[in-house]
Amino acid sequence: MDPCVIEFIGEKSIIGVIPNFSFDPLHLISGSVGPFRAGMPVHVPLWLGIHLRKQQKCRIVPPEWMDMDLLEEIKEEEKRSKFFTKMPSEHYMVEAQLIMSTAPDDVPRCEEIRTIIKDIFDIRESKLRTSIDAFIRGEGTYAKLDNLTLLEMHSVRPILPHSLDHIARYQRTAVATQRDTSMLGLNSSTMNSSSFLTQ
Amino acid sequence: MSKSNKMFADKAFELVKELQRSSQTIPPFDDDGVRQVLEEIKAIFEENCAQAANYSTSGDRTLWPLLNFRHAALQRNKRCLLSYLHQRLQRIKALRWEFGSIIPADIKTNLCEPEVTFFNKYSKSLASYMRSIGDGQGIDLTGDLRPPKSLYIEVRCVEDFGKFELEDGEVIYLKKNSQHYLPRSQVETLVRQGILQHIV
Amino acid sequence: MSEEDYTTKITREDACLNRTADDDEDDDEGEEITAQKVLEFLETAWTNEMCAPDILQHQSDMLELMMGQLAHMEENMKDLDKNDFRFVVHQMELERIRYVMASYLRCRLQKIETYTKHLLNEESTRSAEEKRLSPEETKFAQEYYENMEECFQQIALQYMPNTQRSEADQRIVRPNLMSHVFVKANVSVPAVVVGVDDEEVDLAAGSQHIIPYQLIADLIQKHQVQLI
Repeated sequence: MDPCVIEFIGEKSIIGVIPNFSFDPLHLISGSVGPFRAGMPVHVPLWLGIHLRKQQKCRIVPPEWMDMDLLEEIKEEEKRSKFFTKMPSEHYMVEAQLIMSTAPDDVPRCEEIRTIIKDIFDIRESKLRTSIDAFIRGEGTYAKLDNLTLLEMHSVRPILPHSLDHIARYQRTAVATQRDTSMLGLNSSTMNSSSFLTQ
Repeated sequence: MSKSNKMFADKAFELVKELQRSSQTIPPFDDDGVRQVLEEIKAIFEENCAQAANYSTSGDRTLWPLLNFRHAALQRNKRCLLSYLHQRLQRIKALRWEFGSIIPADIKTNLCEPEVTFFNKYSKSLASYMRSIGDGQGIDLTGDLRPPKSLYIEVRCVEDFGKFELEDGEVIYLKKNSQHYLPRSQVETLVRQGILQHIV
Repeated sequence: MSEEDYTTKITREDACLNRTADDDEDDDEGEEITAQKVLEFLETAWTNEMCAPDILQHQSDMLELMMGQLAHMEENMKDLDKNDFRFVVHQMELERIRYVMASYLRCRLQKIETYTKHLLNEESTRSAEEKRLSPEETKFAQEYYENMEECFQQIALQYMPNTQRSEADQRIVRPNLMSHVFVKANVSVPAVVVGVDDEEVDLAAGSQHIIPYQLIADLIQKHQVQLI
């Protein structure tokens, strides 16, 4: 999955904006939005919020979790915990990136928040790497990945699933070879037939 | 490579490697290489036939490993050759998605006749598939390749252009180094002309 | 544009649509499904398709409904000024939906081109309701296979010894159904076998896992899990 696809999916998140214009509700296929009343907060999909903001038709209401105190807590918890903590938003990185690059002025303490979100992401990434290492050494084929966000999963794709596929393939080959060698007189046609033209 | 090191299927493997190395959209069809590989296949096959006949009359099993080895060499030749053709067809398919139903002339000279036929048939087949989607409503799958970002794009002005009137009557000043967020459809021409630069 | 124009409900006439796990929604024919639901359905089908090694069941009915809805929306937008706030927002949404549909179908096409003969063979063993490919996709797959074979024949195979010409079965490329995928449980699913040694795990609703595709393939079909 391309990073721009992850962003595209993340753009469906709902955020609050305060429009500076008034308009009747819009009945989008993905659901209705509005009515828009100048000065009154309204919920819209992120893709729409970003568009309105770039047109200077609204201010963005930062999501509740874009708050230094809360993020400090999350960071501490993430450091303390062996497991991945639940993030306040499934698409926290995409939201943070889009909102803060489009409307830094709408987010109080924007720079600090940007940094701490990056810190949290880094802590989680390094935790992810350590646990993958342990997982692969343990020769597992299955793992639980609760609270990992889409982008984080993507950061280990394709390397993690591919490595596991290869390990599984070697294991199957090992089993098959054992079986074959115990059976003398193998015929040549079966040897060549398995993986023709595979990439 | 010296002659003594020459192995079965060297040429066939070379075909695959050459293609992979090539940075051209699609390199010229290697007629000569393909013919050599086919000749090697034929030669191996005939040798094996002769000895296999010998084997079945005499029952001498000492030739068995050699027959097997040659058979494997033949299979490898075939595999490499077909991989070469297959890989070329992948690139030929990509042409359809990139350039539409006509192959650019400079690329076409690099294809052999059956490849051109493949392209034309693929192109037709794809077009008729796309038309048939949704009970005949049709979708052009060669468009919308990337997630849409916006109907509007951010642009920077590369040179002083002056007044620019938008379709809704709004007039903006395109001054060197100024930045604007404008409807993509209305500024595409200026972007192509290099007056505006799309900021990604 | 009036409010009614947008909120058109789509009537699901076709009773053969895929049944979902939550049967309370699927009672009889003529049930109604909103455009919003159709979109959610397609978006899930899209991500599932992108993440699955094998081709999944086609969603022609849903696609057709959505294409009709988009055409309807475009018709309504015709009279709006191109710079109208409504036009711009609706247009943006249309582009997003068109992208999802095109990307979804391209993804399937790519699998069809990679595993052509394998998929055609599989299809021939499936009953009409179980078919994974739409009739249009099947036609495309057959043509693609024939064109490819013809090209191989003309350039190479016809010049090979007899015994080498017909071994098309050697060239069948199959997806690796044991490849690992990321999956999220939509509902709680008890006793899922997660390993070759028959180890079982209960998937809690909302939980996420990495697991070989084949072990949960049937759960995708039943909408109990989705790929991410």
